[in-house]
Formats: sequence, structure tokens, C-alpha cells
Amino acid sequence: MSGPGPETDALALAVAEVVVADPAVARLDGGVFGDVATHLAGRKLVGVRVDTDPARPVEVGVVLHLGTPIPVVVAGLRARVARVVGARPVDLTVSDVVPGPVDAMVEL
Amino acid sequence: MSSPTPASATPTTATATSVAGSPSRLAEDTAQGKTTISASVVQKIAGIAAREISGVHSMGGGVSRAFGAIRERIPGGGTGASNIAGVQVEVGEKQAAVDLDLVVEYGASIVDLARAVRRNVITAVERMTGLEVIEVNIAVNDIHLPEDDDEPPVAPAVTPAPSRVE
Repeated sequence: MSGPGPETDALALAVAEVVVADPAVARLDGGVFGDVATHLAGRKLVGVRVDTDPARPVEVGVVLHLGTPIPVVVAGLRARVARVVGARPVDLTVSDVVPGPVDAMVEL
Repeated sequence: MSSPTPASATPTTATATSVAGSPSRLAEDTAQGKTTISASVVQKIAGIAAREISGVHSMGGGVSRAFGAIRERIPGGGTGASNIAGVQVEVGEKQAAVDLDLVVEYGASIVDLARAVRRNVITAVERMTGLEVIEVNIAVNDIHLPEDDDEPPVAPAVTPAPSRVE
């Protein structure tokens, strides 16, 4: 298996961008072990992992704001991510929730 | 589904469970990929829902720890256990179980209170996560008396301990 290339890095960045654009998302999260991450040149993008094998799912970890039912948020996130990754499966993990305003600042 | 859940001393709110009986399933494994909800998510939602009920003074207490590890009640729920602040949850692929430790206010009917807490927790968790709540076990560990407020609990760090090192 070849290592991650520029295509997967770009895809991971694009996925991260659309995910944090959702107002219900507080931040991306790397999971219990922080292993859901993409190693970019100079930094680590936590919360998105794109396998080089297109048959493998794209992994996304998020922390959500409380307020909207999680299934609704998840459906919205899946729609957003599908616009970037197409028909590729997406494994979505809601690792935590935080109270607070849904319009709180989100940053990539 | 409409049968009483096991291990509940007070009558279960079977209606609350069956009304929201078929929420959109989350951890389903479809061609789109699977969705996972962490135990701490369920735990926070259950804790908030329990505290919303007036008559609940606080949560927690030592008894829950004496029970030790959480039982394996849900298939596939092995890794989804979590335990903080009077709320223990076990989260499986489609179901969740909640154990609560409460300190209640003096003057509240504990049976009514437990029923209200259970109903609110089931509603909140099922609505917010889409998981079916199979049981909510409530342990009332203590009762909070009004005169307890006169003398605030002694904070352990009020007088700084003398330093042991020079």
C-alpha cells in the first residue's frame, strides 16, 4: 500500500473545511487515541483521515454543540461531506458534545 | 419493547420508550459508512436531562463505584462504557443504558422524582442521539436538607497545607 499522497491530503483538507462550516460542529476531534488525523507538511490535521484506498471509508471525528438532535446533524454532515468525497463511504464519530451557543466560533 | 425493563424498582415509562421507539438509527453500518456516538455524549445528555428536574439537588455519590465495572448489558457495548459525575452509561450500536446516582432535595417525593427523571432522561437521550434507551436505573444516595446550606461544606483547600519542602 502506498502512503498518503497530495490527493488524499487535499481531500482531507476539503472534508475538514466543509465539516467545520456546519454551525453545529464545535470542532474536529481525533478520537480517543488521536489517531483520526492527517499528517500534512508542517502540521497535523486532527479529525479527518483519508485512506489512499478509495474503497476504504473516510474517517471523520467531530465534537458537536448540543441543541440539535445528533441524527439530524449527522445527516447534514454526511450531505456536506458527500459533496466533497462523492460516493465514498464516510465513518462519522461524534466523540463529544459541548453545551453553548450553536453560533460559537469554529476554526479549522 | 412495551414490557417493563428489567431491574427497575419503580414503574418504567414504557410509553416514553415506545413513542420514540424507532428513532433514526445511528450506528448503522450502511454503504454510506457508519456513525458512532461516543459514550461521553450520551453521558452528558443524560446528566443534563436529570439535573433539569427540580428536586434533584446534585448527582454523584460513592455507591455507584462499589458496583464496580459496568455490566455488559448491551450487545456490542463493550467499549462504550463511561463513568463520571453520577452518570454511568453503556452505549451499544442501537441502544443505551443509563445508571444515575442522585442526591434529592428534602420534601420531594422520591418515587415521583425518579419517575420524572427517568422520563426526561429517556426523552432527551432518544431524541438527541437516536439511540433506544433500554433502562434508566436510579439510585438515590442521599437527601439534601435545607439546614445543610447553613454550613457550607468544608472545602479541602481552604487552609493551604504547610509546604513539605523548603
